Amino acid sequence: MSMDSGLLALDDKSLPVLLELSDVLEIGVLTLDRDLVVCGWNRWLAAASDLPSDDVVGRPLLELFSELQGSAAEAALRRALDGSITMWAHRFHRFLLPFPAPAGYEQFARMQQSARIMPLLRDGGSAGVLVLLQDVTERVAREEELRAALHRAEAASQSKSEFLASMSHELRTPLSAVVGYMELLEGEMVGPVAPQQKAYLGRVKAAARHLISIIEEILTFSRVDAGKEEVHRELLDVVKLARDVEELLEPQAVLKGLALSVTLPDRDVALVTDGTKLRQILINLLGNALKFTDEGEVSLEMSVGDDDVQFCIRDSGPGIDAADLERIFDPFTQVDQSLKRRKGGTGLGLPVSRRLAHLLGGDLTVESARGEGTAFTLRIPLAPGARMPGSDLGATQSV
Amino acid sequence: MKIDELDLDALTELFNIGLHRAASSLSDLTGQRIIVDLPQLWVCPIEETHARLIELLQGDLATVHQIFRGTVTGDAVLVLQYESAARLATLMTDGEVAIGGRLDQSAREVLAEIGNVILSSCLSSFGDMLRVSVSFSVPRIHVESLEGMLRSLQVDNEDLHFALLAATQFRLSEEEVGGYLIIAVGVSSLTIIADALAAGEL
Repeated sequence: MSMDSGLLALDDKSLPVLLELSDVLEIGVLTLDRDLVVCGWNRWLAAASDLPSDDVVGRPLLELFSELQGSAAEAALRRALDGSITMWAHRFHRFLLPFPAPAGYEQFARMQQSARIMPLLRDGGSAGVLVLLQDVTERVAREEELRAALHRAEAASQSKSEFLASMSHELRTPLSAVVGYMELLEGEMVGPVAPQQKAYLGRVKAAARHLISIIEEILTFSRVDAGKEEVHRELLDVVKLARDVEELLEPQAVLKGLALSVTLPDRDVALVTDGTKLRQILINLLGNALKFTDEGEVSLEMSVGDDDVQFCIRDSGPGIDAADLERIFDPFTQVDQSLKRRKGGTGLGLPVSRRLAHLLGGDLTVESARGEGTAFTLRIPLAPGARMPGSDLGATQSV
Repeated sequence: MKIDELDLDALTELFNIGLHRAASSLSDLTGQRIIVDLPQLWVCPIEETHARLIELLQGDLATVHQIFRGTVTGDAVLVLQYESAARLATLMTDGEVAIGGRLDQSAREVLAEIGNVILSSCLSSFGDMLRVSVSFSVPRIHVESLEGMLRSLQVDNEDLHFALLAATQFRLSEEEVGGYLIIAVGVSSLTIIADALAAGEL
């Protein structure tokens, strides 16, 4: 018997060696003559089937296991007589010979098997069939457990996201009412309000708005996480979009005494993308930079490459240790917990931004070092979908 | 033996018939409808196969080899990209194997059987039509790079010089899964194939 990949079939002179090996390898070795009468039934087969060799050898296989008559197994055995080799993966056939399931695996009606069915040669001619049988019940059981665990985990994650999405909605609705009525009171629509009361109402309203924005963030995150966020692409001028974001955040920079420098191309840049999501990412990134920087500068620089538009947002804030760099994109993570208490926030801004960037076909990366500020780079492709993996391959291409 | 002496149209037809037999066996095995496109075929020296395939196949490949011997000797290989091999195994078993896109032991067994069905159907229909006898080895599955796969094309330490390269797509229901079929043969085998084709034995 040759052990290289050129093994074509086994000559019956090599059988004793194979039988010796089969005890060590724990495989079933069955040999049949040209009439499919059992010639060899090794110890493994006797133990697995509860049929001692003396009861089996000399009897036709199809009589011993009548359910094999007319089955694919019989066809494969007969093909081997004509020189064919057949592989049986348990996933397609479950078993070749109907043996009881091994102890401890009673959930299976039968022992799960993989098999090889090949010609047995004598003097170069076909003398019969050789079947090598392997018990794969334990492996199949393990895989089934794994699959069930995976389904459970997926279902749990899905229901968590659905719960979050609906809870966020339920929370936002009453808060909108709080803000609305607060505005009615503040506007003296229902009667005069003393200045002190007005100031307090303003604080309540600001706090409620802050709460709404946090809930909004959680809502977006759970929608993206649950795969329910849809992309609505439109043709837009990204330079104008960046200017809008700048105008929106400038008061925040002025309030903190920070310089906000924005460098944009001096021409329109047309892009087909989801403007709302791009705006949300830029607001998140610039807002974060302003929040965590106490002195110095925050900058936004936009450049247009061959394939993509890049936005680089830099700040002179505290920076992030190299070890924490990728962790900042994990949900509910703020690297410095004391900062979280001081600066507030859900820790969802960056994970949401990166997921949104991926939804738009782009990416969000970060470079930083402790004490040296942070730079985020957002890349959005110029032509969405044009460079989908594999799309440049021809019609007869492999997948 | 000159490559252009081969009747490529006749050879394509031969492949086409072989592939349809393979598809019908696969369909019996899985109960799924399988559609096969007309294969594209090249015959080229082994060293050129790299240049042809490198454009199309990157990363790890899952290959099923089945060596054949007889009047014609060579190595038949089903070549799939790792991810599509996992997808094929998943599709064929209704998601029971290749959990998480990994070619686990069961997925490899499934692919070996799929390869066995495709390669043996193709090779035996070749044998029948060309009236040459071939017998096959046990199919073997490997996960390797393109270079590794091409290096492993060897039978009895005889380097194989030519490859019949067939690219085709097969579709299972709505999903598209495609692969390459490579049949590498020695010069003498290619001469026998050319003679059989020339004799109009199809």
